Amino acid sequence: MATDQSGTPVEAGGDSGGIFSGVFTWMENLSEAAYAYLLLIPGFFLLALVAFYPLLDTLRMSFLADETRGADPLGGFVGLENYINVLTGNTRLGRQVIDVALTSNFPFVELGTPFFRQALFVTLAFALLSVFFETLIGFGQALVLDQEFRGRRWVRVAIIIPWAIPIVIQGMLFFLLFQPTVGFGSDFMQAIGVFGSDPLASSRDSFIIVLVADIWKTSAFMALLILAGLQSVDRSLYDVAKVSGATPWQRFKYITFPIVLPALLVAMLFRTMDAMRVYGIIESTAGCSTVPSMTCLVIDGLFGGTRIYGTAAAVAFLTAGIIGIFITFYIIKFRDAEGGFM
Amino acid sequence: MATEQQDGAEVFGTDTDEEPEIKRGLIESWAANAIKNPDRTYKAMFYTATIFFLVTTLFPFYWLFMVALTEQRNLQNVGVVPSGFDPTLLAAGDLTMGTNPGVFIEVFTLVPFHRYMFNSFVIATVTTIIVLIVASLAGYVFGRLRFPFKGPLMLLVLIVSFFPPAAFFIPLNQLFNTNVDILRPILADGSLYNTPYAMIIPFSAIFMPLAIFILTTFYAQIPDGLEDAARIEGTTRLGALFRVIVPLSAPGVATAGVLTFIAVYNEFFFSFLMTDGGAANWAPIVEGILRYQGQYEVLFNVMAAASIVGVLPVAILVVVAQEKIVSGLTAGALKE
Repeated sequence: MATDQSGTPVEAGGDSGGIFSGVFTWMENLSEAAYAYLLLIPGFFLLALVAFYPLLDTLRMSFLADETRGADPLGGFVGLENYINVLTGNTRLGRQVIDVALTSNFPFVELGTPFFRQALFVTLAFALLSVFFETLIGFGQALVLDQEFRGRRWVRVAIIIPWAIPIVIQGMLFFLLFQPTVGFGSDFMQAIGVFGSDPLASSRDSFIIVLVADIWKTSAFMALLILAGLQSVDRSLYDVAKVSGATPWQRFKYITFPIVLPALLVAMLFRTMDAMRVYGIIESTAGCSTVPSMTCLVIDGLFGGTRIYGTAAAVAFLTAGIIGIFITFYIIKFRDAEGGFM
Repeated sequence: MATEQQDGAEVFGTDTDEEPEIKRGLIESWAANAIKNPDRTYKAMFYTATIFFLVTTLFPFYWLFMVALTEQRNLQNVGVVPSGFDPTLLAAGDLTMGTNPGVFIEVFTLVPFHRYMFNSFVIATVTTIIVLIVASLAGYVFGRLRFPFKGPLMLLVLIVSFFPPAAFFIPLNQLFNTNVDILRPILADGSLYNTPYAMIIPFSAIFMPLAIFILTTFYAQIPDGLEDAARIEGTTRLGALFRVIVPLSAPGVATAGVLTFIAVYNEFFFSFLMTDGGAANWAPIVEGILRYQGQYEVLFNVMAAASIVGVLPVAILVVVAQEKIVSGLTAGALKE
């Protein structure tokens, strides 16, 4: 646009008139901060309409009482009562968020209901385990895809396929695979002694099924992002390292890993947030009462028989709060990795 | 790890020159070979890993195919072959051998599945384009510019992903079902319900934080000198972004596009909210698949077939498109 004009960019389009060149000239002369805010407008406009406004409305709902009888599902202002009720287990929700009591003996805490029936523990355990295995497998897949070999395109298709499968079908697939009359998954797991007699009704066994299903599907997400990071590594660095006698492990540790780290952190950050909001795969395999996650409780409050919108909104904000605490770790990492990145 | 130690062992071995005299068993000689020639070991490790990943990712998909080929009434004990599979039927002139390949036609006769695929494809393409453009601007700002409140603004983008999608449900449902008078000339009843916009707008916002963060990391890695050079040559500020920064980050941009496209193509929650599920009302592929759940029975085999028909072409297309985008963008990029 401006290449056919002589002079500095500031003057570009200065005297050709017209709205477009006028806008461009105006943009060229903005200060860096003003230009930054200008470019952020479209993104924040979309987010404000679809995310910030609804969230503020939900926040308002979380301070209102549940009204199960009247026409309006929301009652008067009750302050933090919904939050307190959710944390103390004093609600109409099908499962509790957390149910522990302090005792005087070692280990000083006692579970009121089994570990895999408390939404907070299920959510945290799921997030930690799934992100750990997905990172490991995704990194492995990315390293394979980064090599040059015949048929690489088809291996890439194969690795993307699970990620492209809708969650409804992923759930159906693993439900059938572990459904005793149709699939053989449960027979196999029982044979090696991991599963009990009715896996889809046992919270612990179902948790494992959901975990495996999620790792199968979303390792590809990690792989694709890490692969993108690997592809931006300058290949000539490897030649230099080879000449200086670096072993492949050293090449990985000192060249590949540091360059991939930002992409890896973004991938892990978004996987952690997604894993802590897990819902679809649970609902389509074992069901929310067998493996309750935090999001399960939100859905339960909104659509499960009794309308307890206020409580559901409070659970949603508690989930966000827990994710926020978790995410702080990544934000600190980002700051260290990039130096003023965030 | 292990190979590093083996490398150390090699040094000792050559020092004492004992190697040729030792009599070795099969495994020992294989290990000795591996030590002498680490490249071969890496190759072996590479092939083992590739085969492992292929088997683990493809096996459930293969099994889904077997479920599709099994007739609904036979749906029991499906193993590596469809249940009811009997090769001896071939001799009797039955080419299907007890399986049900006709299911792949049934997919289209029971429900206009091609229309659902088209809907999903259009929605995903438009959303991906919007997300890439808007997130490119934001990613450029966060990755390369200095300005006050940068950290808090990035955190604000991220916070959207803290909330379960259900937290947006009730307010958004009201918003998109409201009849807005301004929209009346474009849309029949002035509401966005049952239009593609009702999905494209929320999807663009929901999937934008990921794209913004991906692009921020990739744009931040481009050396400042390249952008400065382009600016001195007389490119506008926006021109520098789209002609220098974006092409140089080709793998990152393509990956952000692929991740957004596939996520939107499969999205269920908001599509369920924004349409009544009719093919003519822009309902996406997942709604189509759920249509096979009849009132009295669930047609697992047809659902399996539909998901294979819906997924496989898109996976191939996405990979080919990604390669084309990366090579296309890189070809036009500046070289250092």
